[in-house]
Amino acid sequence: MANLTGLRARGDHNGDRENDGDRGGNGGAHGRGGGAVGGGLPGAVAAEWTKLWSLRSTWWALFAAFGVMGLMSAILATSTASNNTNAITTDDQGVVQVSGIAVGATDLVQFVLIALAILMITGEYATGSIRTTLQWVPLRDRMLAAKAAVTAAVMLPAGVALGVLGTAVAEPLLGRWGRLSAGDAVADVLAVGVYLALTCVFILGVGTVLRSTAGALTTAFLLLMAVPMLLVNSSVKALGYVADALPSTAGRHFMAGEGGPYPPAVGLLILAAWAVASLALGTVVLRRRDA
Amino acid sequence: MITLRGLTKRYGDKAAVSDLSLEIAPGKVTGFLGPNGAGKSTTMRMILGLDRPTAGEALIGGRPYAALPRPLTEVGALLDAKAVHPGRSARAHLTAMARSNGIPVRRVDEVLETVGLTAVAGRRAGSFSLGMGQRLGIAGALLGDPRVLMFDEPVNGLDPDGVLWVRRLMRSLAAEGRTVFVSSHLMSEMQLTADQLVVIGKGRLLADAPVTEVIAASSRNAVRIRTPRPGELAARLAAEPMPLQVTRSDAGELAGDGERADERAGELIVTGAPIERIGMICHEIGVPLYELSPQEASLEEAYMELTGTSVEYGAGAPQKAGV
Repeated sequence: MANLTGLRARGDHNGDRENDGDRGGNGGAHGRGGGAVGGGLPGAVAAEWTKLWSLRSTWWALFAAFGVMGLMSAILATSTASNNTNAITTDDQGVVQVSGIAVGATDLVQFVLIALAILMITGEYATGSIRTTLQWVPLRDRMLAAKAAVTAAVMLPAGVALGVLGTAVAEPLLGRWGRLSAGDAVADVLAVGVYLALTCVFILGVGTVLRSTAGALTTAFLLLMAVPMLLVNSSVKALGYVADALPSTAGRHFMAGEGGPYPPAVGLLILAAWAVASLALGTVVLRRRDA
Repeated sequence: MITLRGLTKRYGDKAAVSDLSLEIAPGKVTGFLGPNGAGKSTTMRMILGLDRPTAGEALIGGRPYAALPRPLTEVGALLDAKAVHPGRSARAHLTAMARSNGIPVRRVDEVLETVGLTAVAGRRAGSFSLGMGQRLGIAGALLGDPRVLMFDEPVNGLDPDGVLWVRRLMRSLAAEGRTVFVSSHLMSEMQLTADQLVVIGKGRLLADAPVTEVIAASSRNAVRIRTPRPGELAARLAAEPMPLQVTRSDAGELAGDGERADERAGELIVTGAPIERIGMICHEIGVPLYELSPQEASLEEAYMELTGTSVEYGAGAPQKAGV
């Protein structure tokens, strides 16, 4: 019979083969490709990386993120400059840190990248391809860890690049109202990258628990934007503490540097704790649920 | 080798799969049959670790799927051809798949060639027809050169050429010593492809036997006799001390006209008696025979008989076998 399967012929095949050597009989199949071992977490990460970049939506989301960053930084920079020069003196901000404009713009830009992170998991539930993914990588924690690693690996440099873009756009528009020191700018731009990476990993966990794109996006908007705003404006002091413990507020304190209710490092820790907690919850839910 | 031990899946108090224990052996095509809702897909999902069994276990070469370090090199499965992200090209899908299990990426082009998708490898999977989707799924199953293959309704949406191709593929995979486990609702297809049959109904095992045995065990296996003296033979057969059944299939035509009846011969269908014994009886009483032939039940008939009382979503009418 013709070799229909396109697979390497195996002379040693017989009916008993699977019964005896279990692992030992695998040499023929596994030894191909110059001793390719692979699999495991590195394999899972490589697969997620390939999957992410083979979708057009990834490229569109990144493209959009840079567009929104450019636009937001331009708006923030020009409004800062005009506030300082107009007749109203109460809104004067004086000379600002140029990279601080990029940090401010991140509040909005983050939602584009968050949508991308959410789609990495909810997109698979929507298309049914989650079952294929789990066939490749059946260990739930490994599958989610791979997605988190890829999310962080994409969002960190993307965030840094976005920070650089925002700073570059803001600088000429701020003119004499902008202050640019290399040390502060590098710190800000790195902070934007770290913030976006951790926030996207956090939201990946949320998407894993909720499985729905719309549900996860709504949750992200409420938790990162609406709820902190409401709490901060509340007159009850305890609610202010709650707001400070939320991921986006913690992230803002982390990016803003000294002067917040707690040091930036604490803000970073709080944000990281949210990311770890959501991944842990996502793993627990994945393990319990049928795919 | 796939081993199921007391495999059970309950949704609330409704059992989708009940205490299923069986072994699916290598070197054979094992057909997995059952009416809609019988639990076929649930069973396959549990084998792949996608659904958690309520009780029992499903093992591949003695270990659960999730414990396999590089599962795609041991088990290739096509469960749902639509479970591919529609925005990804066939090649990118298979490349990601290969990387996940450390399979050399050059295998991707090999399996694309095998299933005949090379020309459309760069196209988005979402633009594929059902048949092309099935081929992509089969390519994925073959990618890791696994010893165990599972296919859920693989010929769905394939044209006759494709059906023939899948049939030959299954046969050659089994001939190479692999375990091939295929679910289908197409009995005729299974009769041509499978060596062994596993039949389930309402989540319970109804049969696990070679195809030939399933057919032979059907009570619908009968002997057809054409003779000019059917009445005489029928009376003699009725006196036999065995639980046989005789049916005059031409009773209406014969009524009234003896002469013509002699010329045209009567037809009897006998079940429950060996053909050799019937032949001897005819010889003893001197009844001439125009025909004495075994009527083998089709797999479809055997299957209907097995599952007749276990159809989950029947069409209302009782599943009664007509003669």
